Amino acid sequence: MSELHTIQTNINGKPVEASVPGRLLLSDFIREELRLTGTHVGCEHGVCGACTILYDGLPSRSCLMLAVQADGHEIVTVEGLASNGELHPLQEAFKAKHGLQCGYCTPGFLMTLVPFLAEHPDPDEATVRDAISGNLCRCTGYQSIVDATLLAARQMREKAGAVDGSEATS
Amino acid sequence: MTVQERGAYRVIGQGIPRLDAADKVSGKAEYADDFHVPDTWYGAVVRAPVACGKLKSLSRDPAFDWSQVAVVTPEDIPGNNIVDMMGRDMPFIAHDEIQYLGEPLALVAAPSLHVAKQAAAHFKVDVEERPALLTLQEMVAVYKEDPAKLHKLSGQTIRKGDAASALKDADIVLEREYTAGHQEQLYIEPQGMVAIPERDGTMFIHGSMQCPYYINPELCETLDIPPEKLRVKQSAVGGAFGGKEEFPTLIAGYCALLALKTKRPIKMIYDRNQDILYSTKRHPSWSHYRVGVMKDGTIRAIECDFVLDGGAYTTLSPVVMYRGILHAAMGYRCENVSIDGHVYRTNTFPNGAFRGFGAPQALWAWESLIDELAAACGMTPDAFRLKNCLHEGDVTPTGGLLRDSVGSPEVLEKTLERCQFAEKWQQCSRGKSGERLWYGIGLSFFAHGSGFTGDGEARMKSKVALDLETRADGTPIVNVRVSSTEMGQGTGTILPQVAADALGIDVTHVDYPMPDTFKVPDSGPTVASRTAMVVGSTIYSAGQKMKADLESFVSETLFDGQPTELVENQFRAEYDNRSIPFVEGAAAYLASHGPFRVYDQFKLPDYVKWDQENFVGDAYPAYAWGCNVAEVEVDTLTCEFRVTKVTAFFDIGRILNPVLAMGQVQGGLIQALGYAMMEKLAIKAGKYDADRMQTYVIPTSVDGPEMDLHFVEYPWDHCQPGAKGVGEAPMDGLAPAIANALEAASGVRLRDLPLTPERLFEELSRSQRLTA
Amino acid sequence: MSTKTPTSFEEMDCAFPSSLAEALDLMADESTRGRPLAGGTDLMVQWESGVVNRPERSISVKGLPELMGISEAGDELVIGSGVTHMQLRSSDLVQKHVPSLAEAATTVGGFQIQTMGTVGGSVANASPAGDLAPSLLITEGRVVVANREREREIPVTEFWQGYRKIDLQPDELIIRFHLPKKSAESREYWRKLGPRRAQAISKVMGSCRGQVLDGQIQSFRVAIGSVAATCVRLTGIEEWLLNRPLNESTLAEVEKRVTEEVQPIDDIRSTADYRRWVTGRMVRGFLENWLEPA
Repeated sequence: MSELHTIQTNINGKPVEASVPGRLLLSDFIREELRLTGTHVGCEHGVCGACTILYDGLPSRSCLMLAVQADGHEIVTVEGLASNGELHPLQEAFKAKHGLQCGYCTPGFLMTLVPFLAEHPDPDEATVRDAISGNLCRCTGYQSIVDATLLAARQMREKAGAVDGSEATS
Repeated sequence: MTVQERGAYRVIGQGIPRLDAADKVSGKAEYADDFHVPDTWYGAVVRAPVACGKLKSLSRDPAFDWSQVAVVTPEDIPGNNIVDMMGRDMPFIAHDEIQYLGEPLALVAAPSLHVAKQAAAHFKVDVEERPALLTLQEMVAVYKEDPAKLHKLSGQTIRKGDAASALKDADIVLEREYTAGHQEQLYIEPQGMVAIPERDGTMFIHGSMQCPYYINPELCETLDIPPEKLRVKQSAVGGAFGGKEEFPTLIAGYCALLALKTKRPIKMIYDRNQDILYSTKRHPSWSHYRVGVMKDGTIRAIECDFVLDGGAYTTLSPVVMYRGILHAAMGYRCENVSIDGHVYRTNTFPNGAFRGFGAPQALWAWESLIDELAAACGMTPDAFRLKNCLHEGDVTPTGGLLRDSVGSPEVLEKTLERCQFAEKWQQCSRGKSGERLWYGIGLSFFAHGSGFTGDGEARMKSKVALDLETRADGTPIVNVRVSSTEMGQGTGTILPQVAADALGIDVTHVDYPMPDTFKVPDSGPTVASRTAMVVGSTIYSAGQKMKADLESFVSETLFDGQPTELVENQFRAEYDNRSIPFVEGAAAYLASHGPFRVYDQFKLPDYVKWDQENFVGDAYPAYAWGCNVAEVEVDTLTCEFRVTKVTAFFDIGRILNPVLAMGQVQGGLIQALGYAMMEKLAIKAGKYDADRMQTYVIPTSVDGPEMDLHFVEYPWDHCQPGAKGVGEAPMDGLAPAIANALEAASGVRLRDLPLTPERLFEELSRSQRLTA
Repeated sequence: MSTKTPTSFEEMDCAFPSSLAEALDLMADESTRGRPLAGGTDLMVQWESGVVNRPERSISVKGLPELMGISEAGDELVIGSGVTHMQLRSSDLVQKHVPSLAEAATTVGGFQIQTMGTVGGSVANASPAGDLAPSLLITEGRVVVANREREREIPVTEFWQGYRKIDLQPDELIIRFHLPKKSAESREYWRKLGPRRAQAISKVMGSCRGQVLDGQIQSFRVAIGSVAATCVRLTGIEEWLLNRPLNESTLAEVEKRVTEEVQPIDDIRSTADYRRWVTGRMVRGFLENWLEPA
């Protein structure tokens, strides 16, 4: 029988300690043990991208990872995007621009795009399309997701600009 | 007929955000696999090892530990071992004849899925294998030899005029065959269901589905329980596209049978491999036409054989075929039409509902052939279509009269103008040698029947309810109570929009709770592009009833009997200009009367006449109209091609939410792009070869073309607000438009879907047009 | 799938050494050795789907510091086996010195696969459709493997011995790759034909490195994947091309000869006939690039 591994990890900003079998998938750990069911599993094989989470800030497929690999690392799931009850600007933009239909793939898109926008604050449409080419959506045809991402980028730039501006004048 | 103005609508026509968006972007929406029910056991299916044969015996491996496993075999089924769908030819659990690989032979449940799966693998199955008929190609070969050698699941004819004699008078007769293969819905959320046996004997089914009122009553006969003891509730649904129309009855049945046996909640969530192997697909099709045209481009006669590969059992195949033949000669004037529709058995999982429901297969062939006919007459594809397309006042192939809301020819004219078709048509490469890139442009034009086919809506009599209730926070809320489901397409947003306008209130006071058969009347299944039109209009009239009742209550109790109107969220008294907010009047009503429910029921206009036996009359109450133009580029180095641009216009009647409607068109066109160019399933040793997401390939974000998409609005005149349906039309026309564009680019015509570089290479080799 | 939890890797344990030495120690002993697991983007899928039986034990080499890094050593690039596709595609060194490898890395799986999957893992997986293989082959570089006792170097061209068969002993791990840089005068090209434009397993793909001077071919190496049991160098056409003029008659002959040199098969992604033809076309296309300014 597999031995249990004790792992210490950080999930959505909170330290988590758990004992897990070596074989346990990270996606199962997140969904079953932590009951964070916003991380969805669509193909189990690393193709659809619905299970994408941030692993030390990098978008990664949790269905292709073991829970033990979270030991000593930081994990962020879709539940960790909102802060103080306020949705992330990207979540707001997905709402406003209908960047979703059935919503099943949505958490994976969000988790792919959040770090992307941090690195590319002013992306063009082609760059956005490239960034989400590892996530499958069967409903939207992707256009509204692209539109939502571009809107979020603009709003985040404006907000950052406003903050900078206010600091500059104070 | 002129296009109606939007008039006084306040909420209808606004692109408001989806009401479920906040839950879906934050990970809070609960899909079937997200329920946590204590004490749940997991189900698995023992599957047949052959595609065709006779079951001789089924036994359990005595070496396996069965103490923690429940088993259901046909003997354990309390009612009839039959799936109560069309044909009534499919057993829940096979007990004698095996008709497809993986057909259930027994069900098992255990405290963990691992044990359940292990148990399923420890049955010994003894079968006498028989030759299986597996593919469309094999089926068509037998059909051509002698159709009587096939097992017929369904047949239907359409006859208008005298096609046989008219063909003899035609200047030119073209005979052509086209095929299309399977298509998998590939919703991103796999099939999943939970069955919970409750103390009072109720079986509670909760999960991913399109049609709660299919499962009830379909399961009642099998479970031998009365409908009032079967509660069906929809969870959030991660995409469906028809794939969760009839299939969920099966998985719900497996769960419920195991729940009866174990007296525990049972959960079954298919993994992707099971989902692809053991759920419905779009029917493969073979269309054989003989069409006669005159030199001036007049269509003289249409003869068509439309043959579907039904898979192992009847299920919904007859209706899919009906929609197919009703679209197989649609769109153009012709006095002499003879269509024979057939569905035959093959030994695969029963094929079933998928967005478009037979129309994409029929239109793939028909709209390809229209281009071939135009060429045969020496006409351009646009001129030929403009000459022949149906107008208001024309009749359909079944003799139905196009009375009103006919978006033809406007969608055609506008698309042609918008993309400068005539000009670009002249620039097509037509296989010119020595060029690295070939350019082509292609066109399709089509109608898509809105609502159920034939007498479906008349029989269905969709029922809806609106409940005025008190929310947890004490404020009044109007709840839309329908069995029409939200699966991504926007039902949960557009119906509240319609209700809000019918009542004269803001949409913030309307909600759409997930359908639960213990709480909602049967508004019918969420299929056939019918929800916006049929259910939407019925919600509108229910809303008007509720509005009238609330107005008279406020008038009598608060406004001294003055005429009172609920408008823009205010009850307004006519004489003294007093007004109170909707919530205040509604709260007063609730305090005085308690919760208030209004029912309504859909009624077809009297002028819709249909002869179901002979397929004569108005096959649909209204049609959506569409025109798609695809521009393609072929890399002559490799025969790879891509669609660079799609221009399209759609008439979907009154647009309830333009952003949602556009999302349907964008998503539908990309799904159609997959159908046209990449999605395919071959059958190897009885199994679909592309049985995982690595191998069943759908479009990604970088596969789509530039899209220039527009609506024209020809509302359905019969009732408010006049929507006609947008769900399926975007699936109908892109494949033939691309094939037509490919011919314009390469000079060769592909008549089998999907259109791939391999097929283009073969065809170019055959016609010796390869550059090398 | 959450309900699948109990079945996932039921009989497999996973060890997490924190250094290469520790990993090699585990590999040295039959009782502790296991299947090396790097990014897991191939293995996890193969195990989950049952295509490959789960080993009793796996050894995670993901992120071992000794396996990371991309550096220069004279005329060579040294690339750690733990380098991810994302690191490859973003590396200025790789983009400059083995550009086709950087380009190939951009086409591996999706974005999230590229952040996880590694060069070593891809090479060990030994799929004939492994996207990095052609670019590694045309460098004529070396694979360095090691056990607890010693390191061993193998020419890349000899590392893949057959269908999913590699030159690696049970106690060895793949450590790094030494890849000769392209010369300043030479160019590399990469092309992949797949069923879609992203997240595609190829129908045919390949890389070339070559040099053309005054219209004459000075050197040309070309490797093609998905047309045989392993990714293959087309040595026949490489030899034939040496010192030939780059003109239409050469190109026409190249197509013909390449078509005769490969024996692809029909499978789920494409047909043998198409693959044979399009391989010839692809090699022609590579050479045609030299007719354009760099």
